[in-house]
Amino acid sequence: MADFQIYQSYQRLLKNEDLSTPLAAILALTEMMKQSNAGTMFELLNELKGNAEALSRHSSNPIGLNAGCELFIEFITLFPHDAASFSELKTELIRQGQQYAGQALAYRAKIAELAFDFIKDDSILTHSYSRVVLQTLLMAHKRKRISVFVTEARPRGMGIKTAEMLMAAGIPCTVVLDSAVAYAIDKVDFVLMGSEAVVESGGLVNAVGSNQIAIIAKAANKPFYALAESYKFHRMFPLSQYDLPSHNPGVLSFPQTPSARAHPASSGLSSESSSILSDNGSPIKITQEDIARNNPDVDYTRPDLISLVFSDVGSLTPEGVSQYLVGMFAG
Amino acid sequence: MASDPQSAANQRIVEDLVSRLRRRQLVGSRATALETLLVLRQVVSKTRFSNLDQLVNVIQSVGRRLVEAQPKEHSVGNTVRKVLHHIREEYHTASEQPIVESSFSIAKFVLQGQPRKQATIPRSETRVPLKENDSNDPDSFARVLKPVLMEAIQDVFDELETVYDNISKNAKDHIHSDEIILTLGMSRTVQSFLKSAAHYRNYTVIVAETAPSYGGREMAASLSSAGISTFLVPDSSIYALMSRVNKVILGAHAILANGGMFATSGSLLAATAARSYSTPVVVCAGQFKLTPLWNLYHEYGALDFGDPNAVLGFEEGDLVNKVDVVNPYYDYVRPELLDVFITNYGDHPPSSIYRLLKETYDDEDNEL
Amino acid sequence: MPQAGPKYEPASAEAQSLTKAQKRAEGRARQEQQRAAKAAQKQQPQSGLGAPGTTGSSSSKSKGTVPKKPVSESNKTPSAAASSSKDAPTTLREGAGGLDGLSDGPKSRGLRIFSHFGLPKTPGHQIKGDIHPAIVKLGLQFSEFKICGANARCIATLTAFKMVIQDYVTPPHNTLSRHLMTHLSPQITHLVTARPMSVTMGNAIRQLKLEISGSDIDLPEQDAKDALCQKIDNYIRDRIIIADEVIEDLAVKKIKDEDVVLTYARSSLVEKIILRAHSLNKRFSVIVVDSRPLLEGKALLHSLTSTVPPIPCTYALLPALPSLITDADIVLLGAHSLHANGSVYSRAGTAMVAMLAKEHTVPVMLCCETYKFSETVMLDGFGKNELAPTKFSPASPKSNSNLEVLNPLYDSTPASCITAVVTEVGLIPPTSISSIPLALGRTTL
Repeated sequence: MADFQIYQSYQRLLKNEDLSTPLAAILALTEMMKQSNAGTMFELLNELKGNAEALSRHSSNPIGLNAGCELFIEFITLFPHDAASFSELKTELIRQGQQYAGQALAYRAKIAELAFDFIKDDSILTHSYSRVVLQTLLMAHKRKRISVFVTEARPRGMGIKTAEMLMAAGIPCTVVLDSAVAYAIDKVDFVLMGSEAVVESGGLVNAVGSNQIAIIAKAANKPFYALAESYKFHRMFPLSQYDLPSHNPGVLSFPQTPSARAHPASSGLSSESSSILSDNGSPIKITQEDIARNNPDVDYTRPDLISLVFSDVGSLTPEGVSQYLVGMFAG
Repeated sequence: MASDPQSAANQRIVEDLVSRLRRRQLVGSRATALETLLVLRQVVSKTRFSNLDQLVNVIQSVGRRLVEAQPKEHSVGNTVRKVLHHIREEYHTASEQPIVESSFSIAKFVLQGQPRKQATIPRSETRVPLKENDSNDPDSFARVLKPVLMEAIQDVFDELETVYDNISKNAKDHIHSDEIILTLGMSRTVQSFLKSAAHYRNYTVIVAETAPSYGGREMAASLSSAGISTFLVPDSSIYALMSRVNKVILGAHAILANGGMFATSGSLLAATAARSYSTPVVVCAGQFKLTPLWNLYHEYGALDFGDPNAVLGFEEGDLVNKVDVVNPYYDYVRPELLDVFITNYGDHPPSSIYRLLKETYDDEDNEL
Repeated sequence: MPQAGPKYEPASAEAQSLTKAQKRAEGRARQEQQRAAKAAQKQQPQSGLGAPGTTGSSSSKSKGTVPKKPVSESNKTPSAAASSSKDAPTTLREGAGGLDGLSDGPKSRGLRIFSHFGLPKTPGHQIKGDIHPAIVKLGLQFSEFKICGANARCIATLTAFKMVIQDYVTPPHNTLSRHLMTHLSPQITHLVTARPMSVTMGNAIRQLKLEISGSDIDLPEQDAKDALCQKIDNYIRDRIIIADEVIEDLAVKKIKDEDVVLTYARSSLVEKIILRAHSLNKRFSVIVVDSRPLLEGKALLHSLTSTVPPIPCTYALLPALPSLITDADIVLLGAHSLHANGSVYSRAGTAMVAMLAKEHTVPVMLCCETYKFSETVMLDGFGKNELAPTKFSPASPKSNSNLEVLNPLYDSTPASCITAVVTEVGLIPPTSISSIPLALGRTTL
């Protein structure tokens, strides 16, 4: 029961467009704390850890919220416990959590300022939908002349949303097929990418397709910049693509039996293939939903492909990120 | 703030340096750093201040004026930042209050992930309590602090004066017998490095001329008169000879926060050629060249341009009208092309320059 | 140096015996040189750059002159050898002022490894034997660098040879086809002493020898000579002039309007291509990158800006290249020769232009006629190179015994940096050059 509640409140908080997953996780935890009846610090921490795990279990892509939960729990562990009573302490912690979430909303503007120094009258390539990238581009548009290429970011097509918002602001913008990035890269001056999490190695976890774009940018000698708020720094070290927590063996697996599907393909793209019959006579039809389900949501970009990470704590080289993380969690 | 006659005196010496910088009567990283330090010493000694912020503001404004006079001489700004860093350190050790954490919040917690500054040895034995903003005795604060600050500035002076010696200390460990070293242009740091190694080792140096300043000729003459067997070659043969070169040693004009550097024009050619032969590229530079700025390399205009007459002079006749001449003074070299920086405080790979910067300067001074 | 008098082999009338005689003559010449060299070396153990080991001014008529040179203060021939060897006997200095054991004797290892480059040549070298005045004049022009560039040298050589052939009279009891080559050999050697032979000259001369040995014995002498001259003209016309035109046609298609073309030093072919593109009313601009020692780019600038309307040009020296390469859309380069592994032997500095262009993904087009192809494999710019004469060196303030000035003229660009090679048979990747003869049904290019 308690599990279900926390996930519900998390979902509810996410409805606020401005909140990103780590912040929503922190706020969800504070809400849980309000209702908790733990008597000691030890019990409270256990509850928090249990709830964090529950959250991550329910979500298919738990990386962002893991980062937020870990940060909050680490903070609580290190917080000086010298308040008069436990309930006062709890109130203080809840207040801290909410205050941070409020402050953190201003981080995007800070990052936009930092990144702005690197932008001249350039062509920029970006991927999918990222609020911090959007804010940076809108700010840059006010003072410089930029043009933007946005990748479509199938299967969810979030890139189209980005393009629409940019065009509404008057920025020259066009949508590029995911497969046409290598074709377009020579027209671009640099690549700007948001992030779901920045990991211990200095690498980036972001919507699937980011790794591809980073490799192409490296091959074409174009700089690749990642924008990440500091609460997205996550103490995880993936050794490969398949080492991510969002990975499950079902991804990119070969379907066993061709099953007959009668409903048409979704997202407006019709797969008008002629019905190909399998051995047992049932027609084989692959729908967009099947593809979306069978493909990964996020991928991991290696640190040697990233030129700089812009964060509210400053511009960092990928090596600099790990120094921060060690300082936070081991210092 | 400071009373008028003193600030006028300050103005004069600052204006003098500003005009010299603007007219390029003062050129070269070490020379400008030394001059800046002299001016700052005067300013600190003559300024009246009753709390730390006043002094910091004065120095920051002086620094701003100097940097604006000649933005391409980064060592000016670096020296100002270094002095500010020392001032804050001295203040914190001298005053009895510890650094107060105003509040403990998650944001601060994240920032604590910053590399910690190294603890300094407290200079003042007698801990006279510092009274800030004392209305009875406005100078007490300054009186206590000034001698300590003067010592700190003297330390920076000493560092600047002994730069060449410290860098050359370990030269013989970096150069071995019968090696062939490639260098280019005229850099006093590299020159002293190579000469010091020549006392212990027998090796050969190839110097590229580095058109159009032809600083390489001066370097070659100086090295050969010190007994080092030297070859003077034009820039076009750098790649042709690279297959026989064991090491490339370059000087730097400024070291940037990402580990890259500004260096004399031609360095990027040498570094790229060296990379294709996997030859190590070594940079000799004093730590006063560390610049906490990132984005300079993006601006084409951040490169300085020299006199086009050196490239295509008026003796070419009417060509001069019909042709654009480009003569950039500096190159930006990416950190991936460099292997190590030999500084007066040890050897560092480009990836740790960022950490070094955080330790040497304070964040609030990055934008003067 | 034995004069190659008419060597008459009555018995065997095949081509082989004559080439044997020719080889013998060359071998004898070589031995003389080496003997002179050894004598010279004994005289001056510490000469600079291993001078006596190479062909050059030191192997003059008699061995006696060589030891005199260091002692004499004759500054009429300001060769680097003279000045450095002047120092040598007088100051028995050590290798390079070091303390770890290389005390006496030869130069440090560093200076020795450049010794195979050969001396910068002195102008006004000796004339050995009966050299045709056209060849003498040509030799002088070569050594003064008045004629510079692979194509120019080849055409000049062949033109001079035409005059030699016309003036040639077959001695009695000889046939033209056998004797002419031996007559030409000393002329060729004379040219080589002025400047090392270019691959183009080598290929052309080899073709000429083939033609000579294949000429009909029964033809009257004047007809045979005319036929040979005609063949030479055809060679120049087909392999150089017309080939250039075909290359221009192909290359011009790759230059589009609003392009920025970057080129290095001065290649006759690239100059022609640019002028042709301009005459086709394409609107583009040119960046000329130049470098010492020859600073040939200035001459290219003159010719490009003399067009009407003048082509917009930018000029810079080699160290400025990284700032300019980002603006370039295409890089056009010329070559001295192209080798079997695809590497390009070309003016010093070309390798760096190609390397930087590749890093910035700017396509590099090499313009080269097929007669420049050489069967050898070139590994790096060190194996074979040439030094510019001292007149191109800066004035050294003092003749410092530790300071040597080197001006290598060539370097070798690896095939990976070249995007495409434009030849008269079409655009090919650089590594395919060795399969062209087969494709054309010939055994060699």
